[in-house]
Amino acid sequence: MTLSTQERLASAAGSPSRPRGGGRLQASGLPWILPALVLGVGLIYYCIGYTGYISTLNWDGASPEPLSVGTKNYSNIFGDPVFWKAITHTVLFFVVTFVVQTALGVVFAVIMHSHIKLAVLYKVIIFVPVVLAPAIMAPVFRQIFAANGQFNWVLDHLGLGFLAQPWIGQESTSLPVIMAITIWQWTGLTFVLYYAAMSQIDQSLIEAARIDGAGNLRVLWSIIWPNLRGTTVSLGILSAIGALKTFDIPWLVTIAGPNNSTQFLGTYIYQMTIQLAHVGYGAALSIILLIVALVMAIILQIVARERTGRR
Amino acid sequence: MFEVRRWWSKGLLQLIATLLVLPYLFPLIAMVQGSFAGDGWGNYRDVILVPGFFRFFLNSAIISGGVIVLVYAVTMLAAYGFSKLRIRFREVYFWLLLACLTLPEVVLLTPLFTTTQAVGLFNTYWAVILPLAALQVPFAVLLTRNFINGLPDEMFEAARVDGASSIGGFIHLVIPLTKPIAAAVLIFTLIGAWNDYLMPLVFLQSQDMQTITLVPQFFVGEFSNDQTKILASAVLTAIPEIVAYLCLQGLFERGLSAGAIK
Amino acid sequence: MRFPFQSKTALRSLAALAVASLAGLGIVGCSGSNQGSAGSATSGTINWWGWTPTNTNEANDFIAAFNKEYPDIKVNYKLVGISDYQATMRPALASDNGPDVFDLSPGAYVQQFGSYAEDLSSAAQGALGSDWKSKISSIAVDGLSSNNKLTAMPVGSTYAGSLWYNADLFKKYNLQPPKTLDEWKKVCQTFASNGVGCFAQGAAQEGFDQDTLQAISNSVEPGYWTKASKGDAKWDSPQIAQTLTIWKDLFGSGIMQKGALGAQQYPDINNAFLTGKYAMVMMGSWYTQYATQNAMTQALGSAGVAGAKPFPILPMQFPDVAGKGNTSEMFGDADYGLAVASKSKNRAAAETFVKWMAANPKGQQVVADRLDTTSVLKGVSPDFTTIKFVDPAQQSGPVNDYLKNASSVNEHRFALLNSDIENAFLAAAQSVVGGSATPQAAAATLQQAADAAKAQNK
Repeated sequence: MTLSTQERLASAAGSPSRPRGGGRLQASGLPWILPALVLGVGLIYYCIGYTGYISTLNWDGASPEPLSVGTKNYSNIFGDPVFWKAITHTVLFFVVTFVVQTALGVVFAVIMHSHIKLAVLYKVIIFVPVVLAPAIMAPVFRQIFAANGQFNWVLDHLGLGFLAQPWIGQESTSLPVIMAITIWQWTGLTFVLYYAAMSQIDQSLIEAARIDGAGNLRVLWSIIWPNLRGTTVSLGILSAIGALKTFDIPWLVTIAGPNNSTQFLGTYIYQMTIQLAHVGYGAALSIILLIVALVMAIILQIVARERTGRR
Repeated sequence: MFEVRRWWSKGLLQLIATLLVLPYLFPLIAMVQGSFAGDGWGNYRDVILVPGFFRFFLNSAIISGGVIVLVYAVTMLAAYGFSKLRIRFREVYFWLLLACLTLPEVVLLTPLFTTTQAVGLFNTYWAVILPLAALQVPFAVLLTRNFINGLPDEMFEAARVDGASSIGGFIHLVIPLTKPIAAAVLIFTLIGAWNDYLMPLVFLQSQDMQTITLVPQFFVGEFSNDQTKILASAVLTAIPEIVAYLCLQGLFERGLSAGAIK
Repeated sequence: MRFPFQSKTALRSLAALAVASLAGLGIVGCSGSNQGSAGSATSGTINWWGWTPTNTNEANDFIAAFNKEYPDIKVNYKLVGISDYQATMRPALASDNGPDVFDLSPGAYVQQFGSYAEDLSSAAQGALGSDWKSKISSIAVDGLSSNNKLTAMPVGSTYAGSLWYNADLFKKYNLQPPKTLDEWKKVCQTFASNGVGCFAQGAAQEGFDQDTLQAISNSVEPGYWTKASKGDAKWDSPQIAQTLTIWKDLFGSGIMQKGALGAQQYPDINNAFLTGKYAMVMMGSWYTQYATQNAMTQALGSAGVAGAKPFPILPMQFPDVAGKGNTSEMFGDADYGLAVASKSKNRAAAETFVKWMAANPKGQQVVADRLDTTSVLKGVSPDFTTIKFVDPAQQSGPVNDYLKNASSVNEHRFALLNSDIENAFLAAAQSVVGGSATPQAAAATLQQAADAAKAQNK
């Protein structure tokens, strides 16, 4: 039995949700996915339901008589300027970190596939940040980007002293710093996945293009990049969810400030729920986050599928 | 990938790679340098002398081990089911699972706390292992499902014709063939479980069940903060993860390249 | 794979989940079925959770001293970092497996967790007699009381609104501690021209911003801040607008360090000051510990300096920045108190421990000698014959005067504020400096936050 052409195409694009082999194997798969569903749905969905219920309350998390307020938390959120600030930052953050990480990830992957020296060392250096807990790195970055920190010192010694800024101490530069740290931390993951995906590209395609006279950049753009679409879409979904949940880095490095300039949904939920004890409001924010994340993931998935279909 | 034959283009590529890697190296150097500031090796000695340090290390290993085993078992079963078996509303279940990725940990704390209490798991390792595993499973299933998608159906079909049940197919085909992706799942699960701080803090009452991520707290006070030893404990905490990455690197990359997210 | 709880039937799990959701709301917890019990007062095991003492060794020293008198009470201390304290305590206290004894500090914590604590008034009376209130620092008691309930017995108190300065740096450049805004600016210019930082503060956090704002306000009009905190005066007043204007001026005139809005008091500013990068820092009574040889040497190591020579630090009054001739008085609160959980199954033993820490001279002496918090029991003071200053001749007089002054303070630091208003302070302070709000507009947001908080509590 051979795969149909359509299946081959879909396989090349790596669409993660393509139904496969369903009709051929008779056994029902439900028992197989049950443990995962029990663990995930059992633990997390109970939390989602609970959070949904809390989101209709005006509750400080401790009082025995929470006040039911219906959808008031939700309507308050839509009139909350800090919420919209957080949303704007999330969108900006997602676009910038995703684009830069993708570009860097692809470039690194290509270079590491090109027989350079010390590749193993480079790979480890890029991957180590993925392993380190943000809580540990936060003070290091606060020091690096302080007014008299190492970053300004480097600028000074590169003759760029006029660019020196109190990077995390002013509203205009704090968000870019948070983005830079995030990119630093997660490029390793992007790189590893692209590196892996590239080793699957059919070498004969590249050979053929070279025989046709294509240069390195041309090969990268016309052969390699289109073949990475599946990885890009999956990373897009993961980055989108990650951006919505962003908490550790802005919280630990800038405490979502100065003046909410690095406020995200994740940090705002924490601030509301834990610090200010508006547990109901925080729960409503979480539910909004959940819905936005799911809608975004599904849209990305559909867009990816349509593109695959058109090819 | 790139063809670099001439010496100068080789040199250029090496230079570009080095320049791009430098910004990644810089904070790491700052971190290690910071961990030696002041007392030098004395910082590391003080960290190791924290009462119960090795116990914390062991606890982290127990919890991470438990999470890895659980995630591995559950993920392999589910990925096989999603990929090769017949399931009505397959995508619905899949998205139900993926949705678990979206809730922030802090929102989960209170409901999980009451749950662990109600089922009598509070202050047992399970109270940390189960929620951590639940949080890791969706991503692991996403990776593994794509990997198994890449295994030809014919293989499973042939096994079935030979009389193997779906269980037989799982044991004789999925388990051995997914070793590479298992390495990837292991790495990501280890990172997630090893670095977690809030769950052990909240769900484990006994001091001698706490994890390695608690160690920096011994050097943070209300009115003091011993940065050098915090960084030293960070370096010590990261070492097992880096060693694991190095050991599994080959298998790991092979696992991803053999058809994970591509 | 079998999990322990899977052996239970599905029905029981469901029932458990239902119970859990109710328990989460505290409905079950407060129905009386889960009330703790007193147990024995002289034996048992109690769990103590807190963010301070800030290391387990120190806590164990307290416990060891306690065990000399009460050998049969075993105390387990669990350190919960202050940044995770609320996240950890909320579920823990709502459950039946929370701590027996826990730390509380005035303000938000008392409001949020006070309902889980026993009223300790009678315990205090039992320990100190019916006039117990006169025997411990009253400012510490007020902050830990809520609706006539003493939610925790104060163990230590802290006072803020003062600066500490590096005496060596001032001597080196032949400078005197500034007394007015102009002198302050001049001192900073001298330091700046010598490449030394002048004054540093972690302005990214509300707590330390509030200290400076309250100190400025006390220079503008003594007592106004406290009146506004109580709701007897408005935040959107000229006094507060002037306070914010002066605050902004500190940033504009080169007093405040560059990038202050992104800096955190700990570890950034503390380490910068202790490594001699800045000459002055906004710190309160807790900083007394660094006047001593031991703590200073250790702190220098923590800041990453090997073999550095400890230098003497001295307290100074906040300058008269408004130029009205007012002295800017300090203000303070209980640093922390120990609460006994209502759900504790060993309440009597827990009370014994709390009373020993808070009301027993031996317990309080151990606390006092640490110098990071000021003991609250009258008649107990740090034993400076055993604690060594960096430079006794220079420091002993001023530091002792400083501590004596502090204990007579009668204005609160955080006790009268709730977390919403504190959050509004941070936003106001940062937006004024960032230029996105005028002092008047920022003052108006403070009043809005105060009004909203008031409406919420009705």
